[in-house]
Amino acid sequence: MRARDRGLTVWNRVAKLWRRRQLARDIDDELAFHLAMKAADTTDARAARKQFGNVAVLREEVHDMWTFPSLESIWQDLKYALRTLRRAPAFTVVAVLVLGIGIGANTAIFSLVDAMVMRGLPYPHTDRLMALIGNVQRATVERRGNSYPDFADWRAQSKSFDAMAGYTPLTLTFLGGSDPERITGEAVSQPYFELIGATPALGRTFRSDEDAVPQRDFVMVLSDSLWKRRFGADPAIVNQPVAILGQTFTVIGVMPAGITGVTDAAEFWVPFMVQGGLTNRGSRGFFAIARLKEDVSQAQAQSELTAISRQLEIQYPQSNEKRGVEVSSLTDLLIGPLNSAVVALMVAVVLVLLVACANVANLLIGKSESRQREIAVRTALGAGQRRLLRQLVTESCVLALLGAIAGIAVAVFGLRTLVATSPVTFPSYVKPTLNVTALGFMAAVALACGVVLGLAPAMHARLANLGAALKDSARGTSSARAHRLRGVLVVAEVALAIVLVIGAGLMIQSVRNLTALDPGFDPTSVLSLQVNIPRVPTPPAASPTTPAALPAPAAAAATCQTVPAPPPIPLVISSADLIDRLRALPGVASVALSSDIPLGAGSGAVFYNAEGDATSGAQTAPRAYFHRVTPDYFATIRLPVRAGRLFTAEEMSASSNAVIVSENVVRRFWPNQNPIGKHIGLGNAPPCLSIVGVVGEAKHRGLPDNPTQDPDLFLPFTDRPGLAILVRAKGDANAIVTSVRQTIRDEAPGVVVYNIATLESLVDQQTSRSRFTSWLMGLFAVTALVLAVVGIYGVMSYLVSQRQREFGIRMALGASRAGILKVVVGQGAKLVAIGLVIGIPAAIGLARLLGSLLFGVSPIDPSSAIAVAVLAVVALAACAVPAIRATRVDPVVALRND
Amino acid sequence: MGSSSRPSEGELLPGTLDMLILKALSRGALHGYAIAQHIQRASDEVLRVEEGALYPALHKLEVRGWLKAEWGVSDHNRRAKFYTLSGIGRRELERESRYWTRVASAVTRVMQGA
Repeated sequence: MRARDRGLTVWNRVAKLWRRRQLARDIDDELAFHLAMKAADTTDARAARKQFGNVAVLREEVHDMWTFPSLESIWQDLKYALRTLRRAPAFTVVAVLVLGIGIGANTAIFSLVDAMVMRGLPYPHTDRLMALIGNVQRATVERRGNSYPDFADWRAQSKSFDAMAGYTPLTLTFLGGSDPERITGEAVSQPYFELIGATPALGRTFRSDEDAVPQRDFVMVLSDSLWKRRFGADPAIVNQPVAILGQTFTVIGVMPAGITGVTDAAEFWVPFMVQGGLTNRGSRGFFAIARLKEDVSQAQAQSELTAISRQLEIQYPQSNEKRGVEVSSLTDLLIGPLNSAVVALMVAVVLVLLVACANVANLLIGKSESRQREIAVRTALGAGQRRLLRQLVTESCVLALLGAIAGIAVAVFGLRTLVATSPVTFPSYVKPTLNVTALGFMAAVALACGVVLGLAPAMHARLANLGAALKDSARGTSSARAHRLRGVLVVAEVALAIVLVIGAGLMIQSVRNLTALDPGFDPTSVLSLQVNIPRVPTPPAASPTTPAALPAPAAAAATCQTVPAPPPIPLVISSADLIDRLRALPGVASVALSSDIPLGAGSGAVFYNAEGDATSGAQTAPRAYFHRVTPDYFATIRLPVRAGRLFTAEEMSASSNAVIVSENVVRRFWPNQNPIGKHIGLGNAPPCLSIVGVVGEAKHRGLPDNPTQDPDLFLPFTDRPGLAILVRAKGDANAIVTSVRQTIRDEAPGVVVYNIATLESLVDQQTSRSRFTSWLMGLFAVTALVLAVVGIYGVMSYLVSQRQREFGIRMALGASRAGILKVVVGQGAKLVAIGLVIGIPAAIGLARLLGSLLFGVSPIDPSSAIAVAVLAVVALAACAVPAIRATRVDPVVALRND
Repeated sequence: MGSSSRPSEGELLPGTLDMLILKALSRGALHGYAIAQHIQRASDEVLRVEEGALYPALHKLEVRGWLKAEWGVSDHNRRAKFYTLSGIGRRELERESRYWTRVASAVTRVMQGA
């Protein structure tokens, strides 16, 4: 047929598509007319009809000319499939539920993968957006952040980038209104907004001249949320002043909703130059973003910046020795850490689906066996192999699609609980939803399941046919061959389940390791909070305070009387008073003040030197993290004192030269010596600080371990506007939150309290990612285990029922019950064993994928052995039940049954 | 093989029915029965068209757009479906009959020669 004819044919068929009934009537009328004419001519109606042949067949044939026979038959298949499924409601419900769980869980996790990995960051040209992270080469390369002069040099000298901007989180205290409020924003250099593709909804962003002179242009862009929350969505906000503690800013613009900055928490933006101390090349803290030029690769940019860094190292050996810069994709920096967890979960959930499919395949095979008669009849009536296969696949596809519909419920519910209960905070732009992509994925998974599931019974039927051909000669072997597929399914289920169970076991074990981990201090019953205490207002502030809350390490140089101690800062409440008031509260055991809180990332690294030691150089010079604390600090967080004493009252001043060090300082410089009375110095200062006490090492800066193995130094606390309070409660730390907060507010009006948390919750946060992943892995593993056990049970029951006659004969011939039991359980055990042998290496692969989520466990962990044992026992139990049933067979009944 | 492929007495050569239908309709509208009658009479009762072949062929040609069909009233005052040639059908008829004349005369020459 030519193209024209084919086109017209399709067109005419489609035109008739909606007039099916009319078409059928016309055909009938036309044929009836013919018959009538013929009858009139021959005067023998019966002969006419006889000659006409089978009218029904002719009618069908003519009708088919006007329709799409293949489509029609698919529709028939569908109707037939639905009818078959309705006839076996129990099977259908179980299969749909099992598939629904599998497909739904996959869709839920896929939405997460889609939202995080595939959609990525909400910025333009994400593939070219890089993060520039200053680093230092010590024992390892450590990320440390950038200094402004370095950044300015990179920007001026590099040719790899279109644009480069610095950003750093910044917290300001907003005055006015009922309560002063600490709000986090970002200090950014231009063209930051262009790089993240943000244009203001109101007003404008910073001009380049507003970011040129340090601390001159106090202008601010508000986020949509802050504008609505604190400024009542005032449309006339632009050019209005905003009262901030220490400085008044002018609002110049408002960002649209959803813009939260690279830190994903910014509610305002100020020019980078608003911060002080930007001229110090050695003061490093912020990150930068930069966009690669279109034809420049990440590696090229990296080597260019490395070359610039080497140049700077030569130029400024003091500050830039061993300093480099890492060019990392911004995507990796922001969502990379979550990727491994999400990918591991995706793998896990796919395994669950495979187990679910194996189960349903088993059910379908069972069902197809009972349908052998029907299939035989249809074959006898002329249904071809392909037609039958299509029918089977149609049926399983319908089943899988029903499963997918059930899966929507599972996915919606699962996703909601996932996001709501996740202790991992997802970036705000990660909004996993059941969007078109996810639903498309779901449909694709369902169809794939359907096809595979349809092929399983078909494969089985082919094997069974083969068996039937050999029926008389060798019944035993042929049925064994037909059952092999079911055996393969059992093996697969066991293998898949063991991967998940071992994976979950490792996760659970590593979470146990994490929680059993001794952080070096005791977080129970300790409440931590941070406060900002206003200065006494009488003397007007000489210079605007820059609230960049860096506890500048340089301040440490003001010890050992090298410079006169600075006059105490007049605050509305002294630290001594604050301690006294809080200690008087009921339920409070002890109170300490500190410059920072454990796990709060508030302390800075300083180089130090020890008397009699000449190590220098950025790579090996001793470095430590330092804190200013009151003597009660150690008792409050139960940091053990190993030697010496705590600070005395007289030492509690900025001019004191007493220092308490952690054990590693002693181990490094004075092993097996009495460290008390030895001296260390901070920075380049001579070693004039005298060690009065030694305390234990603690995980101050992160769990499961400090990011770097540097010790801690403790200096006497001095009054300061921003400080941390640690309160040990006699009971539950949560019970004293209200009274502590109230007391501070009453005693010192204008004090801003923030970051109230129990130390325990801070410890929990550090392990939340692992705990959450292990919780989900556990859930998936249990699901897979249950499905696998049900599958094994089903297959074994079936095999036993098939061999009932055989068992009857054996028992009649004198086989013992124990013997029968051994045969059946042995058969199951063999399958389980093969499954385990295949699954265990795969589990090691999964463990490697879990990688960074695992802590202190290797795949060869006792928990893996437990996992294998659990699975083996449960699987054997699933075999034992039908086996016991087999032994209860009454030989007489079994033989008579046939 | 040989005996089964040879058409029996009165049976059409394969592939010629479409052409005969088109030819029958070249002088005007006819219903199915009349088409069969026409072919039978015009061939001096040599060619007989089975209904089982006629109607599928008619509908195939209609759906392909070579024929147009219309319901009308027959001589006996009964509702009947009348077929006519479409433009395409008329051109196809010319093509087919040219081809047939060439092939038939060629076959005849071969059979009468030697």
